[in-house]
Amino acid sequence: MSFLAPLFFLALAALAVPVLIHLTQKEKKSVVEFPSLMFLRKIPYESVQRRRLRDVVLLMLRLAALALIVAAFARPFLRGSELAAAPGGARDIVLLVDRSYSMGYGDTWSRAQRAAAQAIASTTPADRISVVLFADVAEVVVRSTPDSGRAVGEINAAAPGPGSTKLGPALKLAGSLLAESLLPRKEVIIVSDFQRGGWLPDDTLRLPGGTQVNAIVVEGAQGLNLALTPVALLRTREGGQERVTVTAGVLNRSADAATNVPIHLELDGRSVQDLTISAGPQASASVTFSPLTITNPNTKASVRLGSTAQSVDALERDNVFHFVVTPAAPVPVMVVSQGRPESNLYLSRALAIGEAPRFDTALQAPDALAGDAMTRARLILLNDVPVSDAAAAKLVTFVEGGGGLLVAAGQRASWPASRGDWLPASIGPPVDRTRGAPARLSGMDYGHAVFEPFRAPRSGDFSTSRFYSYRALGAAKNSSVLARFDTGEPALVERTAGRGRVVVFASTLDLSWNDLALKPMFLPFVHQLGRHLSGYKEQPSWLTIGQVLDVDAAEVAAGATSGAQARAAAGRTVLSPSGQRRDLRAADGATAASALELTEQGFYEVRGSGREAGPVIVAASNVSLAESNLDRMDPKEVVAAVTGGDPTGSTSGHDVLPDEAQELAQRVWWYLLFAGILLLIAESVLAHRLSRATR
Amino acid sequence: MSLTSPVPGARFVDPVVLARIGNLELIAKTVVDGLINGTHRSPFFGASVDFAEHRGYVAGDDIRRVDWRVYARTDKYYIKEFEADSNANFSVLLDVSKSMGFGAKLSKLDYAKSLAACLAYLANAQRDRVGLITFDEAVVDRVPASAKHLDVVLHTLDKARPQRPGRLVEPLRRLAEHFGRRGIVVVISDFYAEPDEVFDAVGPIRYRGNDVVLFHVLDPQEIEFGFTEASSFEDMESGDQMPIVPGKLAADYRDLIKAHIETLAKRAAQQPVDYMLLNTSQPLDFALFRFLSMRQRLSRTR
Repeated sequence: MSFLAPLFFLALAALAVPVLIHLTQKEKKSVVEFPSLMFLRKIPYESVQRRRLRDVVLLMLRLAALALIVAAFARPFLRGSELAAAPGGARDIVLLVDRSYSMGYGDTWSRAQRAAAQAIASTTPADRISVVLFADVAEVVVRSTPDSGRAVGEINAAAPGPGSTKLGPALKLAGSLLAESLLPRKEVIIVSDFQRGGWLPDDTLRLPGGTQVNAIVVEGAQGLNLALTPVALLRTREGGQERVTVTAGVLNRSADAATNVPIHLELDGRSVQDLTISAGPQASASVTFSPLTITNPNTKASVRLGSTAQSVDALERDNVFHFVVTPAAPVPVMVVSQGRPESNLYLSRALAIGEAPRFDTALQAPDALAGDAMTRARLILLNDVPVSDAAAAKLVTFVEGGGGLLVAAGQRASWPASRGDWLPASIGPPVDRTRGAPARLSGMDYGHAVFEPFRAPRSGDFSTSRFYSYRALGAAKNSSVLARFDTGEPALVERTAGRGRVVVFASTLDLSWNDLALKPMFLPFVHQLGRHLSGYKEQPSWLTIGQVLDVDAAEVAAGATSGAQARAAAGRTVLSPSGQRRDLRAADGATAASALELTEQGFYEVRGSGREAGPVIVAASNVSLAESNLDRMDPKEVVAAVTGGDPTGSTSGHDVLPDEAQELAQRVWWYLLFAGILLLIAESVLAHRLSRATR
Repeated sequence: MSLTSPVPGARFVDPVVLARIGNLELIAKTVVDGLINGTHRSPFFGASVDFAEHRGYVAGDDIRRVDWRVYARTDKYYIKEFEADSNANFSVLLDVSKSMGFGAKLSKLDYAKSLAACLAYLANAQRDRVGLITFDEAVVDRVPASAKHLDVVLHTLDKARPQRPGRLVEPLRRLAEHFGRRGIVVVISDFYAEPDEVFDAVGPIRYRGNDVVLFHVLDPQEIEFGFTEASSFEDMESGDQMPIVPGKLAADYRDLIKAHIETLAKRAAQQPVDYMLLNTSQPLDFALFRFLSMRQRLSRTR
């Protein structure tokens, strides 16, 4: 029993009022004039017996009525545990069944099914059963049904998935289900192997008050448990070809040593190398396969322990590790220049260096802008060239489709006035700083991706470069000034246009107007610009179930041009490891999505629609290595955490009861008030009779 | 006891009361000096109508009292002496303190005023000189004793009101100086004072040869204490309040008031002073009859 407004109990002090009235009030109210108190004062005070209570029954009635009314105003309510303790109440049972891949260890899953079926068999027809299958995410397969056969059927039809155990979301879901329950007794039954890695203490997680939590621990047969750790890929280039050396690690989590366990390297489903590996108990070992020459992009590679026919241990899912090996795709860059070839010297040399990514540079004359050349590029560098109106229109389309554009504004650079507001900055007249001190770069935005590598001390000093001439830029409103000259004028201005980005540099990328190209930071500066403008992100060779694949970034990394990506984004198809094909859509199902959540173990393929839909994206999805750790925890830890320390019910104030149940629990005050009023009526009747009797 | 008398205060003289006491005589126990003949037997010989004896003339005798007829016959001077009945000073000392205002139907003061009027009327009827003094903590009104002051006495009685707290000692001591002529002094009060204090107050009057009569007037509630409800009792004179729950207290109170009355009666007998307790619930004529009977009986024994 608790109270919503316990401060009302202060009013219990009013109980003294009737007592005082009984003792003194009558004397105070009627004053009797008496000739002299001479003799009354002589009577010893104690003999007056002024504290003697009269009409004790009347007094008791008044006190009881007051106490009941005060208690009613204090709003007592029965907590959920007390409601649940009511005998004979129907139960609302939420059965949480762990279907993480560790449940596939030996016969653990069949044991779990039997345990769940036994728990369901113990229910009565009045009980309601909800079944929740959980791993990373929790899914309600049966919601509050009295049909125990259906609940058992759903459990028997389920199987362990590739997910890893996460008890928290499942318990939260159970709490929300029970919070809606109107039944007086609530119960959560957890059927799991209770891996230690499956529980992260969460102070905010509390089941509704009075919920009884039963944990059923299911354990499979003890034995060898090996798991593959993520592979290490060492890339080398020999003779223009890229070679990859794969090193695989094996973790032995059992007390038995594993010796000469066969381990295979598979490419596109075919075993290309077979080795053996040995690992001591609770130890790890690694094995390195011979270097592979990777010619085809998106090569599906796997390292597998044992064979598909015979597993080395009872837990198969962690005995294979998938990854994607693909030759590093260069970013196609189109450099447009005019005049002397040396004007591209430093830029071309800088772009030619580098592996992540490689820039495939194509030098073009301004006339190329009129053709289809830019559709094969991901990044266009306008190195001091005038841009016609037609070319500007194509460039706008190119950028807004996802491409990157760098405008280096030298003496010849121009941009059609009709599209003057599209550029992040208007290109003004040249500023001559050949006399006097040259201009220097200052005020770089080191928080921007372009300058982020230079943020740390001794990471490059742009102020050492001297600018003898530059174009006066007028930054547009929706642009960002990434760097300024020491005069305060913008030197590097960026804006986002559609899905792409455009940057205007106020000077040249050769030595004609500045000596930036001679400075050590020129190379990383150009690379950062190219990486940023092209949207390049290094793609991991594998992901883990539950992670999200950024399809756009993966396509860029695969060498997609701006036009191809734009077409592919209009419609992509996903082929899941289980062979299911579906369109990549956003959650609303209507718009195209660029993110894919991985839920299965194996290889996902994402293809754009159309003939020139860009490269195919292949992503490897692996199970979480943490799930392969079968170390168990004490289920009491979970029970105590979600019930506030009371294994049979929560004692915290986070009781969540539905409105009807809350009303039921708080209805006590009505009865107290009614009883108080009845007592007052009885008191009035009794007082009236006593008064008549005394008269 | 109301009357349609042209004399203010005469309403206190109830004819029924007078009918009951008309055949009685108010006889003073002590003979006092007087100028007029009355029923009070004077201890002195004087100008009276009742011949007592002849005695020989001695130097200093008033020659007007020489019996010349005897001298004519005997040629000797004889003084003719009479056994003179002289009038007495009958003074009423009435307590008009606030406590005398107590009483549900009839206040003690009203009762006392009726009593005083009756006594004054009777005294005046037998040609005694009547006077009245009302007092509380001091002397309120004073009507000197005179044969012609009955109207004034009755008027003074009529206007007497309980207004101030009362004290016995101080007013009575001061009044004692005015009782140089021996007479009858009737003190009517509720005597809410210690017995020693009461008799200390009347002592000086008594010592001057006055015959002192104490009328102790009490309301039945003061004697029986019939209160049942717990109440706050307020002293009518001091205004002090005291929460009282009657019960065992009533018995204690009755014991105390009884002891007080007995002490007053006992001390009065020792002085000697006449003491009489009057309950306002008793008929006034009955009280007077009882008192006069007692006075007559006592006068015979003294």
